[in-house]
Amino acid sequence: MSAGVPIWRCAGCGVAYFPEPLLCPRCHGGKFESGRVHEALIEEVSVIRHMIGQENWQPRRIASVLATGGPRMTVGLRDESGPGATIELFEEGTAPFGRAKSSA
Amino acid sequence: MFQNAAIIGVGQSAYTRRPEPGQTALHFMRDAVVAALDDARLNAKDIQGMAVASFSLAPDSAVDLAWKLGLSLRWLAQDTNGGSAGMSMLGNALRAVETGTAETVLILGGDATGLAGYAKVAANYNTATQKHLSPLGHGGPNGVYALVASRQIKKYGLEKSDYGHIAIAQREWAAKNPYAVYRAPLTMDEYLAAPLVADPLSRYDCVPVVAGAQAIIVARPDRAPKGRPGVRVRAHRASYNYDNQEGDGLQTGISTFASELWQEAGVRPDDIDVASIYDDYPTMVLAQSSDLGLIPGNDLARFCRVTIGERRFPMNTWGGMLSAGQPGGHAGGLNGISEAVLQCQHRAGERQVKAARLAVTTGYGMTMYRYGGTAAAAILERVE
Ligand SMILES: [Zn+2]
Repeated sequence: MSAGVPIWRCAGCGVAYFPEPLLCPRCHGGKFESGRVHEALIEEVSVIRHMIGQENWQPRRIASVLATGGPRMTVGLRDESGPGATIELFEEGTAPFGRAKSSA
Repeated sequence: MFQNAAIIGVGQSAYTRRPEPGQTALHFMRDAVVAALDDARLNAKDIQGMAVASFSLAPDSAVDLAWKLGLSLRWLAQDTNGGSAGMSMLGNALRAVETGTAETVLILGGDATGLAGYAKVAANYNTATQKHLSPLGHGGPNGVYALVASRQIKKYGLEKSDYGHIAIAQREWAAKNPYAVYRAPLTMDEYLAAPLVADPLSRYDCVPVVAGAQAIIVARPDRAPKGRPGVRVRAHRASYNYDNQEGDGLQTGISTFASELWQEAGVRPDDIDVASIYDDYPTMVLAQSSDLGLIPGNDLARFCRVTIGERRFPMNTWGGMLSAGQPGGHAGGLNGISEAVLQCQHRAGERQVKAARLAVTTGYGMTMYRYGGTAAAAILERVE
């Protein structure tokens, strides 16, 4: 697990992307600064209650989020955070997850 | 408008939730080909071109299928556009025939993945899905469109029952389609009581996976069976990666070409007698109908409750994939085209829409990350 989720910010126009593009869809520049985004706003949540081809599936929560200063992405939620909440992002393998911000 | 190319035959295999052991996608595709040739009154030898889309061909390619079917061809294409593959292949076939590249083209789609096979396809749909969605346990397209549905409900003030009107109306049509896998009437109480699959989507909002295949034959109009009205395509448009996945998914690629489509066809949404709107989810039926301008005032709630709820507009008259089943998006999309052809030819039996003359058909597919990235539509017309 690592803190934050990778994003790719176009060196030409500054727009951030996830997943990684080859050329910027806005300006078609090919240079990106890679960085990580650590927070996101939850916009929609779903509970996946049934998975095709799987028995004994335990419900999981996913969310569409707007990363701070960055793109929209779909994350797995590790707690009961709901729409409107700001969450902290982390990565497991190649997949983005989120949970309520730990009070610093 | 295509002057020198028309749809001259349609055919399908049986649809089944559970294929018999040893019964593969190829067997269903063969049955669909035989039915379409029979319908067009052509021999396999008459076929000069083929377009095919299926999740079940690998490691074979289109040419291997041509070999298995004994077809020697001068035009061949394999399409990978999922739910819009049927429409995409239709456009390519029309252009191949219109330009004289081939006089007769067979369009074919079919799958028999079974549930486990479908789960594998869904989890490995593309790199973005494989790397960034599947590890979340996102539930395949159900999870993706659950999030899109939440946005749609919020934006348009929809109730859960609004999606129900679409599922229930289509089930009513399916009762009149002997090929549909679900034909028993569905009540609103049953719809609302169905278990949630991926909130807010419940069982009847999610397309059931079936095994089956569809075929269509496009040819020069003079090859059409005598004594049967022809079906020509007044306009066809497609869109691929319309917004780089940066929108909300509540518009589709159809929004990029709808005005051109109507203009080229020389008709208006009001003129349409029957519609086949790609229905993997009621959510996306509404999104495409909205893009096409089929929803007055873009009042989605009223469209569900009145236009569909009170059966004022015949949409997905074969039951749609929601009731007939989805044999892969490829064949699922072809089924909507076939139904539009049958309706325009007044061959839809108990489902026949009186005096149907003009139909709109769509395809929508390739759930790239946050929603589908491909879409296509056509306006079909009865020619006496
Ligand atoms: Zn740029």
